[in-house]
Amino acid sequence: MSTFRPIEILRAVPKILQAFPTTMLILLASLLFSLLIGGIFAMMSLSHKKVLNAIAKGYVSFMRGIPTLILIFLIYLGLPQLLKQFGIDMSGISLIAYIIACLSLSASANMSEMMRSAYLAVDKGQREAAWSVGMSPAVAFFRIILPQAVGVAIPALGNNIIMLFKETSLAFTIGVLDMLGKARAVSAANYGATKLETYIAAGLIFWALCFLMEKGTRLAEKAYTKGRKT
Amino acid sequence: MNFGFIREALPQVLAAVPVTLEMAVLATVAGWILGILIAVVRRNHIPVVSQICAVFVSFIRGVPMVILLYVSYYALPMMIYSATGIDTTSIPAIWYAIVALSLDQAAYSSEVFRAALDSVNRGQLEAAWSVGMTTWQAMCRIIFPQAMAVALPNLSGLFIGIIRGTALAYYVGVYEITATANLLATPGLNFIEAYVMTTLIYELISFICNRLFGSAENRLNRFRPKTAV
Repeated sequence: MSTFRPIEILRAVPKILQAFPTTMLILLASLLFSLLIGGIFAMMSLSHKKVLNAIAKGYVSFMRGIPTLILIFLIYLGLPQLLKQFGIDMSGISLIAYIIACLSLSASANMSEMMRSAYLAVDKGQREAAWSVGMSPAVAFFRIILPQAVGVAIPALGNNIIMLFKETSLAFTIGVLDMLGKARAVSAANYGATKLETYIAAGLIFWALCFLMEKGTRLAEKAYTKGRKT
Repeated sequence: MNFGFIREALPQVLAAVPVTLEMAVLATVAGWILGILIAVVRRNHIPVVSQICAVFVSFIRGVPMVILLYVSYYALPMMIYSATGIDTTSIPAIWYAIVALSLDQAAYSSEVFRAALDSVNRGQLEAAWSVGMTTWQAMCRIIFPQAMAVALPNLSGLFIGIIRGTALAYYVGVYEITATANLLATPGLNFIEAYVMTTLIYELISFICNRLFGSAENRLNRFRPKTAV
């Protein structure tokens, strides 16, 4: 059994951080797409059409029930196989694009719920008041409802971003060299002798970044709600 | 779609369902007990222990599940060996996964329990004391039932989360649903069939769990704190 050498943790940190840009690219891209997809489903669940409500509800509960790992396997290994039967070739798509697609889908369920509840948290009277002074529904939404809903949503958004950030670590499962992928490569380069130290280093990096994100969320919330009544 | 493969693989994948459920249930029981303890310690501001718990919760919440699994898989044998000298090679990987999953549940559920305990009016405890209950009796009979009614919807979310988390135990070599499906799919490259099947199994599990938690919520609703008039 190998011995534990704390110094190896320090040695691994800079190596793992080389993959920081990759992880950030995955995080930001999937954040953007998950907000877009989530927004569409939030609109569907808030609409007055029963069919759209049912579709949105089904989508959210489907995405909450499926492990992200299975979703990744389904899309990365399963989908190209399925599409090949219809003559579509997916081999040109990069690994990062696959991971971004999977994480966007998986996070979009939480994003949609977040937007829906933030919208519902804004007092109904606000909208009616905006209409009564002659605003059109669109103007009322963008100038009255949305700014208040954003204030309500910030803490949940921060939480969702942190969860998404942690899920980016699944990128290694299909061979992307994100931070965890890099950590595995580092440990393999040492013939596995520093496995534990390397994973602890990766864990500490994730922890530190999550801590910063949490602080950032709190600052954003404070800055945004300052001078506003929520 | 290769339906022959599905017919052949389905019983084997279904046979792995108990492994997934075993991990999820054991980790949940251990995690929630630990979570309640952490919540009580942090609410009562017990010096030193409370700070340690705060760091623990922040750490677990900041580290991805896969890394927790790896660290528990590689660190625990080393720790057990150096502490007791017991050879750990005979311990199956599932136990390391259960440890990692329960730590995860402990951290997240402690926050849920803390918020739930806070939601019970402090006057309730004082009222229980005034009729001669001890603190322990008051906690068990008055405070906890009400707190559980508040906590349950969030706990059900955590339980579904842990079912999803068990899929990652594949990476430390536990043959649960995901690993079994992967193993069966690889030789014949039947990925689409294997993962559609797996998806349906997971969806069914979480559907059933949602139903069970839903009926538990209904039963506990009578304990829901009523707003004072």
